[in-house]
Amino acid sequence: MKGSCSALSELLEKYFDQEVTDEERSLVDTHLVDCHACRDLLKSMEKMRDLVKAPVEEAVGEENFQWVWQKIERGIREEERPAFWETLQRWLQIPPLSKRRVWIPAAAMVMILFITLPLFFKKNPSYQSASVVEYVESATNNVMVYESENSKVTVIWLFEEPEMETPSS
Amino acid sequence: MNPDEIQLISRCQKGDQEALKEIFDQYHQKVYRVAYGVVREREEALDIVQEVFIKLYRSIRNFKGKSKFYTYLYRMAMNTAIDHSRKMKKSPFLSLDGMEGFQPAEREERDPDHTFLRREQQERIRGALEKLPIDQKKALIFREVEGLSYQEMAESMGCSIGTVMSRLHYARKRIRELLGSYEE
Repeated sequence: MKGSCSALSELLEKYFDQEVTDEERSLVDTHLVDCHACRDLLKSMEKMRDLVKAPVEEAVGEENFQWVWQKIERGIREEERPAFWETLQRWLQIPPLSKRRVWIPAAAMVMILFITLPLFFKKNPSYQSASVVEYVESATNNVMVYESENSKVTVIWLFEEPEMETPSS
Repeated sequence: MNPDEIQLISRCQKGDQEALKEIFDQYHQKVYRVAYGVVREREEALDIVQEVFIKLYRSIRNFKGKSKFYTYLYRMAMNTAIDHSRKMKKSPFLSLDGMEGFQPAEREERDPDHTFLRREQQERIRGALEKLPIDQKKALIFREVEGLSYQEMAESMGCSIGTVMSRLHYARKRIRELLGSYEE
């Protein structure tokens, strides 16, 4: 490549891309008349462009894009279908759980419920309900017989003296 | 942007799928050219077109009109194509999954020899393109395939015209070296 070629190499590409001013074009045209190397370089760039571009144009010409549009429509419909949680969220109009102003109070409420609910439903220790079966008075001892409903135990209460009541079963 | 395009984009931003269809009708070939220019595979290029327009529908609300719409779309198309190209590199064998509705091009059915030769040619070009740094690859595709001006390339690539010219220069030099043996 001649000395003037290296000076013009950048201009040559601009010339090839039709990005030159009129003055620049004129400069390159004059140079190309005498410079075989630069003419070859231009041809080589043209050939390379053709290699890269021609198959693309051929592919575009052969293609029918209507079914591509149908796939796009389907893809958009599938994306727009909300997930179950999103539907529920929208219905309840609850903000996303990731926000602290939601999950902190929610967690506190759960803990409070966890602690207090058992208190409401706590059963009182039940005394074994018993029903008196029979009460017998006698001269020596008064006897009361009763049975516990739950444990099915029969208790015979022997009243010896008023201050010495002792159960025996 | 002309007023019709502004209105079209505005309708699409409000979720009007008819507006998206109109945008698709206007731009699908450009997107396909960029996609095919990068991946050199018909099925992949069509997948990319599908993906780009779905992405566009999702993200068009973010388009503020600071750049031209087609440079915004070109950028999206190119980035999607580059991502696909990376995935193709990792798994070179085409999967038949998701090929529902796939319709072979007419010429493929009529002329299998031509198809084979073209595929081989495309493989070599794709191989050469893959050896380029991404920015040089983008510059080459935008210029040689799509014919964008330096100004349009600068907007699509988010750089100066000087940077565009430099990337293009080195891309061409490298591609000539790589494809040089193929030309002989």
